[in-house]
Amino acid sequence: MSQDIATIRVTRYRPEKDSKPYFQEYKVPYRHDMVVLDALNYIKAEMDGSLTYRWSCRMGVCGSCGANIDGEPKLTCASFLHDFKGRTITVEPMANFPVVKDLVVDMEDFMEKLVKIKPWIIREKETPPEQGEYKQSAQELERYSQFSSCINCMLCYAACPIYGLNEKFLGPAATALAYRYIEDSRDQGKDVRFPIVHEMEGVWECTLVGECSVVCPKGVDPMLAIQKAKILGATNAIKSILMPRGGR
Amino acid sequence: MGDNKRYPELRRRVSPGWWTASRHYAMYMVREWTSLFIAVYSLIFIYGLSLWATVSRANFLNFLKNPAIIGFSLAALVFTMYHAVTWFYLLGAISPIKIGRSKTKPWQALVLNLVLLVIVSYLAIWLLILR
Repeated sequence: MSQDIATIRVTRYRPEKDSKPYFQEYKVPYRHDMVVLDALNYIKAEMDGSLTYRWSCRMGVCGSCGANIDGEPKLTCASFLHDFKGRTITVEPMANFPVVKDLVVDMEDFMEKLVKIKPWIIREKETPPEQGEYKQSAQELERYSQFSSCINCMLCYAACPIYGLNEKFLGPAATALAYRYIEDSRDQGKDVRFPIVHEMEGVWECTLVGECSVVCPKGVDPMLAIQKAKILGATNAIKSILMPRGGR
Repeated sequence: MGDNKRYPELRRRVSPGWWTASRHYAMYMVREWTSLFIAVYSLIFIYGLSLWATVSRANFLNFLKNPAIIGFSLAALVFTMYHAVTWFYLLGAISPIKIGRSKTKPWQALVLNLVLLVIVSYLAIWLLILR
């Protein structure tokens, strides 16, 4: 079976040696079914063991292998080499995050935001397991279903210039997940999450660039979640003014 | 035991020309900048209405007939339509209306709102100018 050669230009940054990042070019033989992650694995195994990057599942589920490929945030495991045939493929660490080494970015800020929105079902009073599960209809599930498909790959943050300019911004994935629980009929934590989502650097910081929804590999629409959260917040604010004793 | 020393992370700044990186970003920036343009148009129109209130309706109409104002208004119309399409489509995505078992699509809200925009605009033109 014939093999083509892909030219991969990868960002290298080794903080113990380098004061600034630079590109290193590799020529990688590839088959039709190989993705960018396969090329990185080939480089690490056969050419340069010092190349550092994250990956795990190799099938677009774990969300570990995000990078900027030719300037666009993508999962390296879901980007076929043959789609770039005839041109050099530039692989850089995801934009808007500090770089730890080569393609590895610091995820700490995102992890803190994820915990901040309390991504679990909050109940005013837990019922014992023997009383059965919290039931939900198909229609109730449909209200939040797409927002529960997030794999925390952070590509939406890499695509968001608002987050790039202000890292305090809660950002697309965390807001989409917060909205997922706000819309969950089993959840009773709206009063806990609303102040977080509507604080100064919450949803109102979003000015509708919309690229977060374009780059999402799982078809989640965080931009929509943010706008829906804005509408809910505004409606609640008006209700609380008009009906101060029972507006919410 | 390994070396526990933490090396400095590389912090990258967003460059002033970030919005030239893709067509999507550029269109966003066009929308942001044309908001200012529409704000200026609003001020000009308020000035025109003040002429009507303080001098006469003929004066207001003469002001509108100024070629520079006509040119600026046409440009503002194009920008307004860009904003209208963006927001009307978004409105349909955020708040679809449930009809039986199906929900309305965003493009349906876009078309309906554009029709309403044309009707309201005609009424405004009739009220201010044609009447």
